[in-house]
Amino acid sequence: MSDLLSGRRMLVVEDEMLLLLMIEGIMEDLGCQSVTSAATVKKAISLIETEFFDAAMLDMNLGGEDSSRVADVLSERGVPFIYSTGNDSRDMAEGARNHAVLYKPYRETDLIAALTQLLASRSN
Amino acid sequence: MPAVVSKSGDQKSAEAEVENFADDLGPFVVAAETTRMAMVFAVACETDNPIIFANDAFLELTGYAREEVLGQIFNFFMAHVDDQAALALVREALEGQSETDVEINYRRKDGTKFWATLFVSPVRDDDGDIIQYFASFVDLTSYKDEQAQSQMLIAELNHRVKNTLATVQAIVSQAAKTNADPQAMRKAVESRLFALSRSHDLLTRENWRSAGLVDVLHDALEPFRGLDDQSGRVEINGENIRFSPKAALALGIAFNELATNATKYGAFSNEYGSIRIDWTVEPSPAGRRLVLVWTEKDGPVVAPPLQKGFGSHVLERGLAHELDGTVQLDYQTAGLVCTMNIPAPGPDHE
Repeated sequence: MSDLLSGRRMLVVEDEMLLLLMIEGIMEDLGCQSVTSAATVKKAISLIETEFFDAAMLDMNLGGEDSSRVADVLSERGVPFIYSTGNDSRDMAEGARNHAVLYKPYRETDLIAALTQLLASRSN
Repeated sequence: MPAVVSKSGDQKSAEAEVENFADDLGPFVVAAETTRMAMVFAVACETDNPIIFANDAFLELTGYAREEVLGQIFNFFMAHVDDQAALALVREALEGQSETDVEINYRRKDGTKFWATLFVSPVRDDDGDIIQYFASFVDLTSYKDEQAQSQMLIAELNHRVKNTLATVQAIVSQAAKTNADPQAMRKAVESRLFALSRSHDLLTRENWRSAGLVDVLHDALEPFRGLDDQSGRVEINGENIRFSPKAALALGIAFNELATNATKYGAFSNEYGSIRIDWTVEPSPAGRRLVLVWTEKDGPVVAPPLQKGFGSHVLERGLAHELDGTVQLDYQTAGLVCTMNIPAPGPDHE
């Protein structure tokens, strides 16, 4: 199933550095071609506007800032993405309902399953 | 909102009655007039219970003049007059059937809304029939504000705890990946957990507003200095520039990695080595930059590692990413030099 992830260019928008390093490690182990990261809304948007990504994962809160603008730009560009958040489901942002959400902390297998499903639904 | 109500004969006589018992019960009425608790009397027998007395505190709370209040129905200043559930609560309070505090959303003359707890005591005549309601209102504004504030803090705390748990998960997962020996793995996990914990202590002392760079460094290096007086082995030169809590946590972890490396291979691994940490803030086209240089000397001869470890990964990739800067590790023979070039924090944290 992780074949779907091999060779992919991934964007990780996450502001906790140790968590980012773990996610990058997981993605590299799965054979992703590249993993690019951003910790701020500004940097994430400038990356999406200048580079191509097969898929992305987006933390809903970046250093206290709501990341919904990043979600908008990802949607405009047609980049499929999943959310991650340290909030519980009750505080869910309105626009997040159509996307898979990983609640921190999440299992490595849940991350892989969510990404696989994201790319599988795209290729069908 | 209705202006002054034209008074019926009943209303006038009811108000007159209040005047009368004001004469009979002098001190008590003065107390009702002047207490800081907002109070009204309303007629029990008529529909809609017109108000026949309002004290100064009530006028102050609602912003109305006395003549605008007298003769109005009891519910006239509810914020939502068609809220059936709230109307039912008021009815229950009047009938003395409320089992819990009745909290009602009211509206001031200027249109602003506030919550108040409504207490009602019936006033009975000699036959035991209820003739008036004596109602008092406890303004819940500051209580509701505090409640909203503490709910926000709880949500924020929950968010922080979840992120911290994810960080701990990352620490454990990394340590399990690189250490076959359980003891070594435990040590690796503990060192980083304690670094995280010390940064939390520092931020708690600062009420989670910010932390100074000098303090972050002192706290990060403290466990590596041992019991002997090793103060001469660390020299810190720089202003105590304040960083956001998030950046301070990241820096705390980064300095812990540097100090761990120094203990294993660098200036802290023998008896003579020392570490100098200097920083300056420099203007640049992209805004003010903080350039920090960590220089080790008099340790064993240094050679670049064959394979980069997690520590260098945390610094060169993790810290650089989180603080949106660059971090370079230069393995000079005389000692490791780590150069951080990061955006200087703005005045928000000072």
